Amino acid sequence: MEVKAQDQIAFYLTGHHNGSGLLPLTNRSYRPALFARHADLTALRYDFPLILNVEGPPERAVLSLSGLVDEAVDALQNDADRDRIAQHGYQLERELRRGLSGHHTTGTVLDFATMWNKAAAKLGKEDATIADSAKRLWMLFKANGELVDVDFALPSRVVRHVWNVVQADKARIFHERADRLVLKLHSILDAEAAGSNAGRSPEKLRSGLAGQSGTSFSTTFNFDAMSRILVGAKPSQNLSETRRRRIQSVLDTIERQHFHAPASKTDTPLHSFAFYRCASALQAYKERRNEAIELLKAMAIAELEVSGEYREAGSGKGVADHDAIFADFGVGGIDASMLATLPDYLVCQNSSELGAEETLEIVEALSTGLPVRVLVQTDDLLEPSGISRASLAAPERHLALASRSRHMLDTAIGLTDVFVLQSSAAQLFRLQNAMLRGMSYAGPCFFSVFSGSTGHNGDVPAYLVAAAATESRAFPSIVFDPSAGSDWATRLVVDSNPSPHDPWPVYPFEYESGTLEMHSEDLAFTLADFMAMDERYGEQFAIVPQSGWSDVMTTISDSLSNSKTSKGQVNGRTGLPNAVPCISLVDGEGRLQRAIVNRRALEETRRSQSMWRSLQELGGINNSHARIAELRADERFASQITSNPATTATPVQPAKAQAAIPVLSEPVTASDIAVSITAESHGDDPYIETPRCTTCNECTQVNDKLFVYNAERQASIGDVTAGTFRQLVEAAEGCQVSIIHPGKPRNLKEPGIEDLMKRAAQFN
Amino acid sequence: MNNISLNVLNGNGAATEPLNVNDCLLQLYEEHYELEDYQKGVPRWCTGCGDNAILTAVQRLCRDEALPPEKTVFVSGIGCSSRLPHYMNTYGFHSLHGRALPVAEGIRLARPDLKVFVNMGDGDCCSIGAAHWIHAIRYNMNMTAMLHDNNIYGLTKKQASPTSPIGLKTNTTPRGSYLDALNPLTVTLGVSNVSFVAQVVDWIPKLLYQTIQAAYHHKGFAFIRVIQRCPEWLPTHMEAYMQDPTRVLLLHHENGLHVDDELAKRYTKMQEHDPSDINRAREIASGSDPIPVGILYRNDEVPCYEDVRFDSRLRTTSLVKNGLEAEFDKFTIWPDGHAHVSRN
Repeated sequence: MEVKAQDQIAFYLTGHHNGSGLLPLTNRSYRPALFARHADLTALRYDFPLILNVEGPPERAVLSLSGLVDEAVDALQNDADRDRIAQHGYQLERELRRGLSGHHTTGTVLDFATMWNKAAAKLGKEDATIADSAKRLWMLFKANGELVDVDFALPSRVVRHVWNVVQADKARIFHERADRLVLKLHSILDAEAAGSNAGRSPEKLRSGLAGQSGTSFSTTFNFDAMSRILVGAKPSQNLSETRRRRIQSVLDTIERQHFHAPASKTDTPLHSFAFYRCASALQAYKERRNEAIELLKAMAIAELEVSGEYREAGSGKGVADHDAIFADFGVGGIDASMLATLPDYLVCQNSSELGAEETLEIVEALSTGLPVRVLVQTDDLLEPSGISRASLAAPERHLALASRSRHMLDTAIGLTDVFVLQSSAAQLFRLQNAMLRGMSYAGPCFFSVFSGSTGHNGDVPAYLVAAAATESRAFPSIVFDPSAGSDWATRLVVDSNPSPHDPWPVYPFEYESGTLEMHSEDLAFTLADFMAMDERYGEQFAIVPQSGWSDVMTTISDSLSNSKTSKGQVNGRTGLPNAVPCISLVDGEGRLQRAIVNRRALEETRRSQSMWRSLQELGGINNSHARIAELRADERFASQITSNPATTATPVQPAKAQAAIPVLSEPVTASDIAVSITAESHGDDPYIETPRCTTCNECTQVNDKLFVYNAERQASIGDVTAGTFRQLVEAAEGCQVSIIHPGKPRNLKEPGIEDLMKRAAQFN
Repeated sequence: MNNISLNVLNGNGAATEPLNVNDCLLQLYEEHYELEDYQKGVPRWCTGCGDNAILTAVQRLCRDEALPPEKTVFVSGIGCSSRLPHYMNTYGFHSLHGRALPVAEGIRLARPDLKVFVNMGDGDCCSIGAAHWIHAIRYNMNMTAMLHDNNIYGLTKKQASPTSPIGLKTNTTPRGSYLDALNPLTVTLGVSNVSFVAQVVDWIPKLLYQTIQAAYHHKGFAFIRVIQRCPEWLPTHMEAYMQDPTRVLLLHHENGLHVDDELAKRYTKMQEHDPSDINRAREIASGSDPIPVGILYRNDEVPCYEDVRFDSRLRTTSLVKNGLEAEFDKFTIWPDGHAHVSRN
């Protein structure tokens, strides 16, 4: 073994930077190679910055600047100046991005119109036509509001803005309904007043006509005679006093409500629905509960009164009266759909503030079924886990990987009726439709957002950090919508992640060698690449100069997909790896660098991959149950064909598994299926509760091919075709810890099968 | 070549000199073991015997703790269980009946760098070896002692052992055992300097492994009673306990065993027990149904005999040779062939 390779393996195993040329990744100008093209974000057109639009429907609550410019340019399809305006639009875009780049850490609120005019004025000094282009584009935008880029304040700003827009829309719908009802209820009362003796008195008639026309008929028209005629002809039935009082009460309740802001300014104080703690939100809900019930009751009564369908007590036999119904209104709780007409409660918290008490508060709030929207923002994904923060050296730290927010996320999904959205700030715009669905969901909603502002990534923009978190699977995008369907495949969606069917997203990467030759390779973006961006984990990597690149250096994706780095053959014995995992980086001058990843970081990457794999399965991607079911169906189909060639004349395709996307990522062997069956799905097949096996050799002595020991010397089913059902039953009977389950026989023609099945029944 | 400093400890617990890279790689390479590295031969125990479970558990422990086979020794006395060293690919000493513990103590004194495990049967430990057992507890030398307790002498065809319950019919007590069984736990807990006492059953492999692992990590004499099956001579003796999970009481504590969800689902009878509470440990040890399983007592402060009497001199070959010569010099060989003891 060469010395260089030995140094590299030593670093991989120990994490110590020994040997010449191996240096820790302390130079913060290094970035993952796939970021080479993203050195200057202001030169790129991408989703950000965003406009938190205050004009238009909720679907246009959040707009991308680039998207807005493209929309405007498209609208100029037949305009002679289209190309010129488009070019100027792109220049203005870039200027706006430059202008925003100085405000990332300040969280300053910037107005889109102001920034646009500022950019136009600046560029207009060089080219007078730019001002005209800017003006024409602005007229086509139909949008205004705050201009925001990815920074620590973005998650709460966006979520709060979308929440505001949805609440404003709710308020509009409420007031449309409430105004209609109030108008009609007032009409009922007015009609009653007009039909009374007082309403038909000569004075009232006179003032009414005079007031409306502005002319005086008092001298030419005999109001006394008119009054006598009208009083004599008035209906015999008047509005009952009970009904009049009820209508008046309903009107008072609706007109003095404190929930929705009316279109016009009013002196009535309104309730606030935005909080920083769930406990405060729940307390406010409790305090306003009776008031909310009264308002909802009033709205319901008003509807009945307006349509004339309200039945008072004693109004008819055999028909339930509304008095009784409304007397008990709200006693057994309020229906979620009724609550949905009132404003939702919003709680914004940072995961760094989440202690046990706050976590419990969130769980309580989410489990109430109330329309509460909880945002938990995570700023530091790679913080060491709590137990190791201070006590252990860097190589021994276990990454928390946003354990607090992930814990909340898992809990929220586990509650089954909570709408859940997880996203990095970079993906938030792409997921705004899901966010809107969550805001409109008739139940609790949980948002988990990674801001990208970790404070440990040097001068890497927060957008890139956030995007890298999504790409590396450290913080995958997840949408769990309980209203979408009844199964996991329809409720849980992970398709918005890059390359959702693969372990990692892989991108082509081209570079030029020192001899000006072009090279190309596929690079995966993994958790290790994400860790390499964080200054705290520089020690986990060793930069290898080009002269030291050796054959033992392999890509991290290869290392994760095979066992080269975990086992090797040295002198005929296992133990020493024969490859070390590497990632590709670019330095500040754009030169390609390779860095070895030590074993600790590799294991964290493997853990992240495993988490992603579980998520994929839940989301219906590469689902192992579906894969096994499909293989079984194929096997059955093949065996039917073999045993009965006549069926080949009219082949019938086997029923496919009910998986959303059953994609085979790798070949599956019979032993894989056996292991999977043992661990997860039993069906009619035999299985053993392997962890409970005491290695007593009972079963392996019956048949050492049918029953085999695993690496822990605990028994599992080996080759089911290597034994008989009788052997399975006898082994089950002989097993002292009763962990063998024979299942159903494969061959019904086996001698004594009926008796065997009876004996097997007690073990299945 | 640059030196790297790793906290590698030698057998005495003292840090060695920093290793260079090559040494480090060599060490890492040698420290990686598979289960097969500790397996030797085909066990000749009866199928269904609990000794198999204990063997697998100690082999897994050796692998997981990366114990070098040449630095590990298993000592046993006489009995079925005492065949265990034959199936371990480590050093082993299949000693005399009841004498496993003194042999193990000798090994600890002579070779403190070795990891010592002792496997004894209930007759081996609690009858003929009872005196050694009591003093081994008192000496508190660093080793892991496992009592394979199947309540019967199996190798000699079903004779009553000290732990056979009253009324048990055996070939030596055909009308049933006359005496109450000896309780190895209460005995151990009653001896001075006791430092670690645990009980486990062979049919819960996860806890068996955890318990042996905890005993291995304890510095001092770690005594584990493993209640096990004898499918040949007492085939139904433990069946009721095995089939009914409520007849097992799991002891758990942050300083004891950790019961995971899977176990907790099956074994619902659990009790939190602080292993530092010796009085409570004695109360629990007195119970037999449900069988208490877990660490009953643990005290890491009890000094070990080999530490108290540690000979700081480096045991070199010349030191041993000089010592032997000095002993031999005490004898004088006369021409008549008789040895005369020197009076000097």
